[in-house]
Amino acid sequence: MTEEKKIESVITKKDLNQVARRNLFGLQLGWNYEKMQGLGYCYVIMPILKKLYKNNDEEMKRALQQHLGFFNTTPAMSHLIVGANTALEEKLKGSDPDAVTGLKTGLMGPFAGVGDTLFVAIYRTLIFSIAAYLALQGQAVGLLIPLIAGACIVYLRYKFTFIGYNQGQRLTTEFGNQLKNLTEAAAILGLTVIGALIPAVIKPVLPLAFTIGKVKLDIQALLDQIIPGIIPIAIVLFSYWLLGKKKMTSTRLLFILLALGLLLGNIGTIVSLF
Amino acid sequence: MTLSIGLIIVLTIYVGLAQLDALSAQFGFYSPLFGGMVTGLLMGNVTTGLLVGGTLQLMILGVATYGGASVPDYLSGSIIGTAYAILSAKGAQYGIGLAVPIGLLLTQLDVLARMSNLFFQHRADRHAKLGNYKGVERANLLGILPWTLSRMIPVFIGLLFGNSVVNVINQYMPAWLMLGLKTAGAILPALGIAILMRYLPLKKFFPFFIIGFVMMAIGGTTTTMMSVALIGLALAAVYMLFKREFKPTTANGAPAPQASNNDDDGEVEIDD
Repeated sequence: MTEEKKIESVITKKDLNQVARRNLFGLQLGWNYEKMQGLGYCYVIMPILKKLYKNNDEEMKRALQQHLGFFNTTPAMSHLIVGANTALEEKLKGSDPDAVTGLKTGLMGPFAGVGDTLFVAIYRTLIFSIAAYLALQGQAVGLLIPLIAGACIVYLRYKFTFIGYNQGQRLTTEFGNQLKNLTEAAAILGLTVIGALIPAVIKPVLPLAFTIGKVKLDIQALLDQIIPGIIPIAIVLFSYWLLGKKKMTSTRLLFILLALGLLLGNIGTIVSLF
Repeated sequence: MTLSIGLIIVLTIYVGLAQLDALSAQFGFYSPLFGGMVTGLLMGNVTTGLLVGGTLQLMILGVATYGGASVPDYLSGSIIGTAYAILSAKGAQYGIGLAVPIGLLLTQLDVLARMSNLFFQHRADRHAKLGNYKGVERANLLGILPWTLSRMIPVFIGLLFGNSVVNVINQYMPAWLMLGLKTAGAILPALGIAILMRYLPLKKFFPFFIIGFVMMAIGGTTTTMMSVALIGLALAAVYMLFKREFKPTTANGAPAPQASNNDDDGEVEIDD
C-alpha cells in the first residue's frame, strides 16, 4: 500500500518535531535490564512508523519488533541516530532490516563514548561543579547555571534530530568525529576548572596545631608554606590513585573517605592520648 | 519544628517529578543540589539546603549512570538529609552524614525499578507481535510508575517518621562522631572530583589541571571560579590554534593528511 506513495515527501517537519519531543521525554521511561533504551527507542520513532505503516499490518509488526531491539547510548547522542534511522526507514521501508540494525548498533557504542565524555563528564565538570561551588558559598543564584545550560542542551538535542535526518548514516559518523574535536577543547577547560575546584571546595579545618612540651607546632602553617591547598590535593590524588586499583569501587572509596574524615576530625584527641 | 503533612506531600511530588527530569531533559531538578535547595526553601532555611545539596553534588560529580549502572540515590538523600538537618537544628554536616547512608540504601530501589520495567518490556514485545503499536506506546509510558514510585515512597516514609528518628539519633549520637562527620563532609567532595578525573583525559592534559589548581590555591579569595574558567577557555583556544597552525608534517615537509577540523568549535555554548 505504502509503496505507491512518493517517498520524498512522506516525512514532514511536524513528524520530526514529534520524534524530537518524544526523544527528549520518552527515551528512558521504559529503561530495563533486557533491552535498556530499546522500549523507549520504539516509542520515540513511533510517529514515523505510524506514518509509514499505519495501514499495513504486516509491515507494522515487522517494524515494531525491529525497533524494540536492544539500544543504549548517551540520550543527547541518540537524537542523531534516531534522525538517521528515520531517513533510512523512509527510504528502505524494511527492505533491508540489517541496514537499520547496523546503523543503530554501529553508532550507539562510539556515540556513547563521545557523548558520555562531552555531555556527562565535561558537562558536569563545568556546569554542576560551578553551581555546587556557588551553593557552598550560600549563593542560590548559581542554580540558574544548570537551568540555562539545560535549555541550551535541549535546543541542541532538538537540532541533532534534524542533523541526523538530513545527513543520514555516513555523515552522522563524520559529525560524531567533529564532536571529538570539541570534546578535546572542552576537556582542557574542564581539567582547568577541576584543578581549581579542589582547593575551593575541599576545606577541612584540621586541629593540626600541637603543643609538645614547650614547643608549639603548627602543622597547618608549615604545610601552607609549601603550597596552600596541599591537604585537599593530597586527598584527591590519593582517591584518584585508589580508583585505579582493581576491586576499588566508588562506594568503597566513599567509606574510606568517611573513615578518613572520622580520623582527621578527631586527630587532636587522638594525638593528645599519647 | 515539625514537618506538616502538606510539606511532606509537596516534597514527595517533587522527588517524582525530579526523577522524570533525570530521565528526560535533565535540567537539573534531579540533582542533589536542587533537592537540597528546594527542601531548604520550603522549610525556610535555604542556606542549610544549599550546603547539604552542594556537598552531595560535588560528591557525586563523577558518579553517573554510564551504561545504565545504578548509582546511590542522593536526590532522595538530599531531601531527607536537609529536612533532618533543619528539624534537628544541628547544621548541614549532620544532614550530609544522614544523606549518605540513605542514598546508599536506596540504590537497591533503583535496581528494583529497572527490573520492574522488564514487565512492561515483555508486554511491549507481545503487543509488537500483534502489530498493536498503541500497546507498545502504553508500555513505555507505564515505565513512569516504577521510576517515580521507587523515589516517592521512601521519601514519603522517611519524612513522615522524621521527628521520631531525629529524636532517637540526637539522644545517642556521640560528640566524636559529630566532629568526624563534620570533617568527612568537608573532604567528601574529593570522591566526585577523583571519579571525574578518571573520566577526563588527565594524563594527556595534566598541565591544565596543574594551572587550575595553582591559580586557585595561591589566589585565595581573590581568584573566582569564573576567572579560572575563562583562563581555561583561553588555554583551550590556544591549544586548538596550535593544533591547526602546526600540523605534523611528513618527511617531505608536506602537511600530513588530516581530517579537516571544523573551525567553529563552539566552546561558547559550554561556558554559559
